[in-house]
Amino acid sequence: MKKTRNAAVLSKGSKAARFVIFLFMVVAALLTIYPVVYVVLGAFKANGELLIGGTSIFPKEWIFVNFIEAWNEANFAVYTMNSIYLAVGVMILSLVISSMAGYVFARKQFPGKELIYGVFVAFMFINVGSVTLRPLFELAIKLHMNTSLFSVILISAGGGQATYIFLVRAYMKTVPKELDEAARIDGCTFFQTFARVILPLLKPILATIALLSFRGGWNEYILPLVFTMTNQAKRPLTVGVTMLKNSGDGAAAWNIMFAGATISIIPILLIYVFTSRQFIQGLTAGAVKG
Amino acid sequence: MKENLNKALEKPGISVWQKVKKANNRGDFASVFMLAPAVILLIVVSVYPFIWVFRYVCYEYNGITSYFTGTHNLVRAFHDLTFWKSVVHTFEYAGLKIVFIIPFALLMAVFMKQKITGSELFRGIYFMPTIISAAISSMVFAFIFASYNGILNAVLRFAGLIDKNVNWLGDTKTAMWVVLIVAIWGGFGNYMIYFMSGLSSISDDVYESARIDGANGIQTFFRITLPLLSPMLKVILMLAITGAFKDYEAIMVLTQGGPNNRTQVMFLYIYQLIFGSQTGSSPQIGYATVLSLIASLIVGLVTAIYLFVSRKLDNVV
Repeated sequence: MKKTRNAAVLSKGSKAARFVIFLFMVVAALLTIYPVVYVVLGAFKANGELLIGGTSIFPKEWIFVNFIEAWNEANFAVYTMNSIYLAVGVMILSLVISSMAGYVFARKQFPGKELIYGVFVAFMFINVGSVTLRPLFELAIKLHMNTSLFSVILISAGGGQATYIFLVRAYMKTVPKELDEAARIDGCTFFQTFARVILPLLKPILATIALLSFRGGWNEYILPLVFTMTNQAKRPLTVGVTMLKNSGDGAAAWNIMFAGATISIIPILLIYVFTSRQFIQGLTAGAVKG
Repeated sequence: MKENLNKALEKPGISVWQKVKKANNRGDFASVFMLAPAVILLIVVSVYPFIWVFRYVCYEYNGITSYFTGTHNLVRAFHDLTFWKSVVHTFEYAGLKIVFIIPFALLMAVFMKQKITGSELFRGIYFMPTIISAAISSMVFAFIFASYNGILNAVLRFAGLIDKNVNWLGDTKTAMWVVLIVAIWGGFGNYMIYFMSGLSSISDDVYESARIDGANGIQTFFRITLPLLSPMLKVILMLAITGAFKDYEAIMVLTQGGPNNRTQVMFLYIYQLIFGSQTGSSPQIGYATVLSLIASLIVGLVTAIYLFVSRKLDNVV
């Protein structure tokens, strides 16, 4: 339908223009996916081939042993588990916290509500940058949580929660208040109203939050880097792979680094392929409303 | 007598109990418990570190011992050439990133609106870099730009454009450009999506009438799209500016601020002071807090100037 409408209003000159634009977009798309294709295909190259270089992005000989080596010898099994734990942890925590807080902000009137809300907004903009890692790190040491990824989950979820709370609060505007009232009349408590009646209705926005927060946890880098500086067994993939690059003895193990980067990229990429629409919509909503 | 007293005492007692019960029925306590996790996290993760920063401003602190040094940190900050160079680099990085990324993202968004074959797929591809960790993609780019066995040098040599390998990340002339290319690659899809949502709010009727009046594509863009987009453009620019000034993750992986501090930006320098740099120097936290405050002040000033200028422009237009 769109096509017929466009065809009706476009002249011949603009058809040529459209072709040029199309070509431009193809080139841009190729440049955009190139690094990803390069590293994924490179993960199947032999280390010797990677170290010599060359112009081909396809392996001379397809080799799977890089992944096995990375998985078994270079600790990537552990890194992957840590990444999953971190990402799922951040996701669950973000979902629980933001759905509850967003509901309260949307439906409950209480003194100081605007103030608390204002502090949430303010700290989205107040940002003294990397220095805040230090007090959090020292606090974790005091609480004996500095060797656990759980503190990373808490900090990561805490850093991202404001956006998600705003998303839930905004979404609540589309849920009629009569539903809450009906549930209350039927004898639901405040929490039951939320858990049994509202929560199921929040599914679309919760799916978006799940995606965004999972991505946030999966891609977290500096935070786990700081917390696992002396604790290799807790490193997620992002830290594990880049550490290999910076360490002297890993510099020659390009095949392991390629395989590691691929292991890190593929899961999130697969999720993205199936949910790109929600990803994109969620990010727009988060940025514009937040 | 005693009974009377009891009764008198009971009355307010009941009313307190009733108050509690009423509050419970309204869901007051439930609300507190439901809001508590978010508020506690906010205090611990955001408010507490912010206050903490002020604590060591006048101290020298290496993570273990601290002692009072008065205004020494501040004096040192003003004489720290590495820091002020990093400020210049931050402006250079942020300025160039915005100059390239915003027009490019806007152009792509406008192209997207033409509903060209496959634009859904293109949108998915352009946005893809934003879902990949900046650390990982930076590492991939470090492979591509590697001087000895990087594929870029191999291709350029093959095409006869260079005779010998260029040390892209190790040369002070090229390192910043590599950092910028990675930043643009990783971010333009995001801004394109913002622009697309801005463009979607412009009614098709406006374009229709422009076409009837005989406006060509370029005229339509400058006379209609840009003015109607300007409120959105301001917000997007604001996001881009504050974002670009805070970037340091990708640079950390790509160059660690090198070569010779050529790509050192404020927040990366501060990070290295807080946790000790790769060379193993000990943390200088007190000094880093002072630099952090100066850095946030700079970002705040830039934002304020931007807001002021954009409002002034509003009056003109």
